[in-house]
Amino acid sequence: MNAPTVREHRISPLGRFVLVVLAWLPLTFAVWYFAAPILLWPAALVSDWVSRLGFADLVRAVEQTGASVAFTTTLKPGQAIAGGIVTVDVNMLLYSFGLPLFAALTLAAREPKRLRTLAIGYVVLVPAIAWGVVADFLKNVAITAPAQVTSQTGFVAWQREAIAFAFQFGSLILPTVAPAIIWVLTHRGFLEQMRRTTTYR
Amino acid sequence: MIRFFILFIVLLALMFGIELTPWAQRWLVEPWTATLAHASATLVTAFDPGVISAGKVLRSTSNGFAVSIEAGCNGVEATIVLIAAMLAFPAPWKHRIAGLAAGIVAVQGLNVIRVISLFYLGQWNRDVFEWAHLYVWQALIMLDVLIVWLVWVRTLPRVEDSSGPPPPTSAATAAA
Repeated sequence: MNAPTVREHRISPLGRFVLVVLAWLPLTFAVWYFAAPILLWPAALVSDWVSRLGFADLVRAVEQTGASVAFTTTLKPGQAIAGGIVTVDVNMLLYSFGLPLFAALTLAAREPKRLRTLAIGYVVLVPAIAWGVVADFLKNVAITAPAQVTSQTGFVAWQREAIAFAFQFGSLILPTVAPAIIWVLTHRGFLEQMRRTTTYR
Repeated sequence: MIRFFILFIVLLALMFGIELTPWAQRWLVEPWTATLAHASATLVTAFDPGVISAGKVLRSTSNGFAVSIEAGCNGVEATIVLIAAMLAFPAPWKHRIAGLAAGIVAVQGLNVIRVISLFYLGQWNRDVFEWAHLYVWQALIMLDVLIVWLVWVRTLPRVEDSSGPPPPTSAATAAA
């Protein structure tokens, strides 16, 4: 009588965990997308601080609109447009999709104090998001803008190289790796237990 | 654990830096991306003969729609993350090599599915394509890397001493 039940549950803890993560992902993505203006407000704030502290001569104002931030610069678009200034819009969603991934992993692990873990992950991920946002802005004004704009920034060759690396790292590596690292660090007990568990249930 | 993470970050930054060099782009990344496009086209032609690849571009000959496989979509960064995680984690080299071989196949296999799915999503709906391309698939590929790494870690021989706590019983695990 029990045989069918046993067969039904022949899925490893890791397999079950993966299925639960996949079940959580649509919900966490939806929450992240619709709550982005609020969730990403701290990242916009950090981007504002960093850009004003580190690049005060370039940035006049940083303003959040929804999930985007607009950097108003001190740079002129060129002689053809008298009196104009360069503004750069950055989509923060591009650098924050690790938030729903981290949330799905955390909720699927079903460890105690999940809310605390979610809060820790969020706080740690905010600077990573800000990294991507600021690096995107710098890449725009220092590398991809027209020559008459990039020349006003005063960046020398090695600084442009550093900006390119920071942008690539902030867009290709940080958004995905940072949540995974934080999740592994905050779920060491869960991982150890999963590693020990070899029986199927 | 701290040693693992420091080593992981160092290896990751090192390999990522090498990947960005013009030499690596020309001799490794670009040929690999072209191979990925060709493999995707070969698979797709099994059910859709009107698809060709040229370099890193996958193109429909029926409606002209094409996708270009760019950095971040060729699975190179995900593979680098996996290699860094497996090299940084303490394990016998035999297990590392086996894990890397199987893991790279798993990551790149899912990446082929990503490329093909995006190719058809783009022809169906541009908004859905953008969402899947920019957010969903990025997260899924990293989830794949994490799962592959977890599976690999589970297969490693345990080197704990006998004074450690006994492994939990299946009943205790079921209650967790």
